[in-house]
Amino acid sequence: MKRIDHRIWLLVPPLLLLLVAFIGPVTWLLSRAFTQPAPGFGNFVELWEHPVYLRVIWNTLLISAITTPVCVAVGFPVAHAMTYANARTRRWLIFLVLLPFWTSLLVRTFATVILLQRNGPLNAMLLGMGIIGQPLPLLYNMTGLLIGAVQVLLPFVIFPLHASMMKIEPAYMQAALTLGADPLRAFFRVYLPLTLPGLMTGATLVFISVLGYFVTPAMLGGVRQLMVAQLIQDQIGQFGNWGIAGALSLILLLATAVLLGLLHATVGLKAVAR
Amino acid sequence: MTTTRRDILLGGTALGLAVAGGIPARAATDLKGKTVVFASWGGAYQDAEKQCYCEPFAAATGATVVQDGPMNAAKFRAMIAGGAPDWDVADITIDFLYAGIGDKLFEKIDTRLVHTDRLSPQFVNEYGIGCIVWSYNLGYSTKAFQPGSQPRNWADLFDLKRFPGKRALGDNVVATLEVALLADGVTPEKLYPLDVDRALKKLDTIRSETIFWSTNSQSQQLFVDGEIALGLILNGRAYDAAKKGAPIAISWEQNIQSIDYLAVPAGSRNRDAAMLLIDTMTEADNQAKLANLIAYSPTNPAAFKSIDPKVEPWLSTAPANVKQGFVINAAYWRDHLKPLQERWAMWKLS
Repeated sequence: MKRIDHRIWLLVPPLLLLLVAFIGPVTWLLSRAFTQPAPGFGNFVELWEHPVYLRVIWNTLLISAITTPVCVAVGFPVAHAMTYANARTRRWLIFLVLLPFWTSLLVRTFATVILLQRNGPLNAMLLGMGIIGQPLPLLYNMTGLLIGAVQVLLPFVIFPLHASMMKIEPAYMQAALTLGADPLRAFFRVYLPLTLPGLMTGATLVFISVLGYFVTPAMLGGVRQLMVAQLIQDQIGQFGNWGIAGALSLILLLATAVLLGLLHATVGLKAVAR
Repeated sequence: MTTTRRDILLGGTALGLAVAGGIPARAATDLKGKTVVFASWGGAYQDAEKQCYCEPFAAATGATVVQDGPMNAAKFRAMIAGGAPDWDVADITIDFLYAGIGDKLFEKIDTRLVHTDRLSPQFVNEYGIGCIVWSYNLGYSTKAFQPGSQPRNWADLFDLKRFPGKRALGDNVVATLEVALLADGVTPEKLYPLDVDRALKKLDTIRSETIFWSTNSQSQQLFVDGEIALGLILNGRAYDAAKKGAPIAISWEQNIQSIDYLAVPAGSRNRDAAMLLIDTMTEADNQAKLANLIAYSPTNPAAFKSIDPKVEPWLSTAPANVKQGFVINAAYWRDHLKPLQERWAMWKLS
C-alpha cells in the first residue's frame, strides 16, 4: 500500500480559502441565474430575446482577442532581452517590468490619460517634431484601451515567456542555423514553438484578465468599447438583478472555457507534449 | 429663533415616539443612548453633511450619529433583504428612490416629525426628502468662446458649424436623451414620454465629435485639460473646476435638475430618530452652511438668505436658475430605464 504523502495537508488552508472566498460566492452568483427571479431558464431566455447582451459579450471577447496578441507581440522581445542579457541588466529589466505592479491601477490609468490626451506630452512631442499636423486621437477609443490594457498586462506575458526561454538550449538554434535554416525559419520552426508553453500561459492570463475589465475601458475606451463587466454592474447596482448578472457571468465563463479549450487543444497541448 | 424651531422639533419627537412606538413619552431631549447610522457618498460631501446635519442633530438630541458608507444600491438592497438594515438614514439618488419605492425599500416619511413644508414642494417625496439639488448644465470653455459668441443652450451643443471642436456628453442614457430632444426643439413640457428614435438620431449628428465621459471627475478633467470646448457637466463639477482656475462657465438655460434624497431604510430600528435627523437637514441654516461649504443647492428656499453671493450663481435652486430648469422625470426613468439602457448600449455599439 502506498503511504499518503503528508505534504498534502499543506494544501488544506489554500483550498479552504478558495472554497470560502471564491468557489462559494461564485457558485452562489451563478446559481442565481437559474433561481432568480423565478426558477428555470427565464434569465437565459431574456438574454436571448434582448440582443444587446450577446452583442456586448461578443464585443468583450473581441476586445480580449485583439489585446492578447498585441500584448504577446510587445512582451516577446522584452522577455527575449531579459533572457539573454547579463545578470545585472536582467535584474533591471525585471525591476522595470514589475514597477507598474507597485502602482495602483487608478493612478496608472490617470497617468495614461495625461500622457495620451490631445494636449498631452505625446501629442505635443509628435506635433513639435512635425510628424503629425493634428493631435492624434489616442484616447476614448480602441487605441486608448489597448495602450492602457497592454501596459498593465505586460508582466503577465513577459514572465511566463521568460521562464520558457530560460529552458531553451542555445544549441537548438545553433543546430538549426548550421543545418541550413535561415534565421527567420529557425526562429519560427525551432525557437517559437519551444516558447509556446510560456506564451500560451501568458496569453491565457491576458485574455482572461481583459474579459473582466471595468476601469480601463471606462476611462480610456470610447462608447464602442462597451464590455460585459459594465452591464453586470448595471444589472446588480441599478436593478438588483442578480439573476441576469449571474446568467451573463455564466455565459462569459462558458464562452471563455470553450475558447481556451479550443486554443489549447490546437496549439497549447501540442506544445507541452513536445 | 433656533430655540423655537427646536421646541417644535422636540415636541414632535415626544409625540412620534409615543404614537409610533407605543413607548411612554420621555423627556423631550432624550435621544441619549440612541445611535443613528448615517450612510452617504463619502468624501467632502459626507464630511459636509456630517458637519451641517449630523452634528447639530447630535447636539440637540444627545443621540450619537455614526457615519457609514459609501452608499451603494446593491448593498442597500441586500441589507433590506437580510431583514435588519445597518443604516438608519441614507443619502440616495433620485433613481434609486423611485426604483426603491416600488420594491418597498423605504419607510414612509413621517410628516409629524419632518417639516416637509419648509422645502420647495418639487423636492419632497412621500418616501424621501430632497437634501440637495444638482443639475445637468451646458458648460463651455471661456477660452474657446468669447463673450457674445458663447453657446447658450442644448441646440448650440449640437451645432458643429457655430461651435466647432470636441464636445462631451455623459455615457449615460439618463439626461442624454433629454438633452438631444431639447436640442431638437422639444419643449420641457412635451419631453416625456421620450421620443427615443428622434433623440438617438439627433445624437448621431455629433457622435464623431463627442467624447462620452463615464465619471463626473472625468467630465471635469476634460474641461481642465482643454480636451473639449463645450459639453454636458454637472453644476457642482463646473464650480469646482472654475474654483481651481479652469476657464469654464455654464449656461442655465434648460438645466435638468436632479435631487439627492435622505431616506430611511425599511425596517430601521431607529425610525423616529432617523426622521428627526432628516428634519434637522430641512432647516434653512443647516442647508445654507452646507451650500457654502461645497456648493450643493439647498431645497429650502429660505437658505439663500445666508448663502455666499459668490457661490449662489452656481446653484441650481438659486432664484435666477431654478426657474430656467426643470426636474428630471424620475418616475418615467424608473419605468423605462432598463429597456432604454439596452437601447443606449445598442446605439453605442452601432
